[in-house]
Amino acid sequence: MRKANVGLAVFFLALGALCLYDSVRIGFRWLPVTGPGPGFLPFYLALGCVVGSALIILREFKKEDKGLPLIPEGGLGPILWVLIPSTVMLMIVPIFGLHAAALIYIAFYMKVVGKIEVYKCALISILFPVSLYIIFDKVFLIPLPSGILGDYLFGPVGKLYDVIF
Amino acid sequence: MAENMQLLMSGIGTALMPVNFITAIVGLALGIIVGVLPGLGGANGVAILIPLTVAMDPVAGIILLASIYWGALYGGGITAILFNIPGEPWSVAVTFDGYPLANKGEPGKALVLSFLAHSVGAVIGVILLSFFAPIIAAFALMFGPSEVFAVMMLTFSAFVGLGGKDAVKSCVSIFIGFLLACVGMDIVTGEMRMTFGSIDLMAGFDFIIAVIGLFGLGEILLTVEEGLKIEGKAGKISLKDVKDGFVIICKEWKALVLGVGIGAWMGLKPGGATPASFMAYGFAKQGAKNKDEFGKGAYAGIIAPEAATHSAGTSAALPMITLGIPGSPTMAVIMGGLMIFGLIPGPMLFKEHATFVWAFIGSCWVGNILGLFIVMAFAPLFAAILRVRFAIIMPIIVYVCAIGAYAVNNRMIDIYYMIVFGVFGYLFKKLDYPIAPMVLALVLGGMAESALRQSLLMSGGNPGVLIGLKINEAGRLEISWLCLLIMIAAFIIFFWPSISGFLEKRKKASA
Repeated sequence: MRKANVGLAVFFLALGALCLYDSVRIGFRWLPVTGPGPGFLPFYLALGCVVGSALIILREFKKEDKGLPLIPEGGLGPILWVLIPSTVMLMIVPIFGLHAAALIYIAFYMKVVGKIEVYKCALISILFPVSLYIIFDKVFLIPLPSGILGDYLFGPVGKLYDVIF
Repeated sequence: MAENMQLLMSGIGTALMPVNFITAIVGLALGIIVGVLPGLGGANGVAILIPLTVAMDPVAGIILLASIYWGALYGGGITAILFNIPGEPWSVAVTFDGYPLANKGEPGKALVLSFLAHSVGAVIGVILLSFFAPIIAAFALMFGPSEVFAVMMLTFSAFVGLGGKDAVKSCVSIFIGFLLACVGMDIVTGEMRMTFGSIDLMAGFDFIIAVIGLFGLGEILLTVEEGLKIEGKAGKISLKDVKDGFVIICKEWKALVLGVGIGAWMGLKPGGATPASFMAYGFAKQGAKNKDEFGKGAYAGIIAPEAATHSAGTSAALPMITLGIPGSPTMAVIMGGLMIFGLIPGPMLFKEHATFVWAFIGSCWVGNILGLFIVMAFAPLFAAILRVRFAIIMPIIVYVCAIGAYAVNNRMIDIYYMIVFGVFGYLFKKLDYPIAPMVLALVLGGMAESALRQSLLMSGGNPGVLIGLKINEAGRLEISWLCLLIMIAAFIIFFWPSISGFLEKRKKASA
């Protein structure tokens, strides 16, 4: 836990330092007309952030006990199995659109991680994106990213909906 | 008073109108589902549905959002008791005694106790809201910018001093939240702040995205890391269970009063439902005669945290609607929904949109009471949702979260932010940084900054104005007692851990 604690605190320290630099650049002092400069509040916030994270780092090094590891044994696998496919899904959104990307993602996760029968995977991974497409894009008229292919893939569903209602 | 009573009645009338009533039922059902599923909590459940409410009438929209919260509060306990899996962070405390009692062969009774405690907590919270909101709002009309800033300070020092987490980490969490709120264009000078030349950063960070990432994805990562094993009891509730539940809850009135009291305090101060439930459990255990029973299915161990959870949830609406300071993260998201309708919470809301405010308060009555009947009747049905495998639920939750994150501003970058916030949410939980104050800082950042700058401008740069000391044009000292008192209270609360430690030491030394 110590490594993770120090790591996150170092990140916050760097973030604070960056904001400190920026608030000094845009000016944190008193201006004649508008009063406190644009960097006024960020300056003190960033200062607090830097001091606070420095304290956390110092305290961690004073501790004898290193603590438990951040991720318990066998925990990293499932986490990456969530993070990586989700990120890949977002990468393919510009091509397939959000609903079709989600269709692929749900089917992949159910089949590969959940080891669920193919027909169930197909049913659920088609049912959910189609119903959410109808709710958002058609009923409430909130367009979600359709990518290059999204309109071709979900267009027929939309037309069918228009014909029925 | 009589006038307010009349307004309340008309508000309840509005909430009972067919459209609003059906909206409340839909919201409650969605809320209970959100509450049952681990990884999908009240805050991000509400956040995801905000885009849908834009197309609705404001009253129906706010009823939908609030009903989701009430449903999630009720629903969290179901799986905590039956499966030992808390569907919400605020139902962790009820697993300590709820699951053992269900395991002893009394799952129905455990559920009834939880629901009844919830409904009592809810009713007390709503009574507070109905009768104190107009008074506080009228009082808050006297606030100038320095008083508003002092109230903010009080809010955040409560997180540091009374939040129960590490003080330095709480402070860092608050600073990060405020810094994120500062990103983008400065409202006074028009200068770009902390954007580093990036166009994407110019629009800043929307707190709804942060909520979906921190509470949604972060929670999912925690759940999969721990691995989900579902072994549980079927949750049938018989009429006998209901009767027994009533008798027990009357007998354990002390735990009930304790839970409701702590909950109301934590909702007002703000803190939220999660710390309230833990605190109530701790106090109930300390004060009980049969301490050994706790952890093995003590009735008080279910009643106290559940009553606290719901009374914190409902009373969190009070500071939100009167001061514009939400009492819990979920209330913050509901406030975000109000702002989308152009309704800015705060004392003026009562003056300008009285019918709307009273319709909201009326719907709190209707929604919470209706919620009790829905969970009582359909608890086994909702519990069955968790029997669906997590490999099916998880990708669907991520998908729904992505839709919610995108639809807030129609920006793809927000979905990427959501993933980043998700990783941070996981790290924050693991390393014991509190998340709620960061979200609240992100929400209140703009308001706090303008209050600070206005007060400094009014005093010509003299920082004394922040504690209520002002030098007027004649060169005389003017004291705003209200501001001074709030600031002193904030100061005491901030250093409360040290102060109480010091007092205890002296007590011991003299004894």
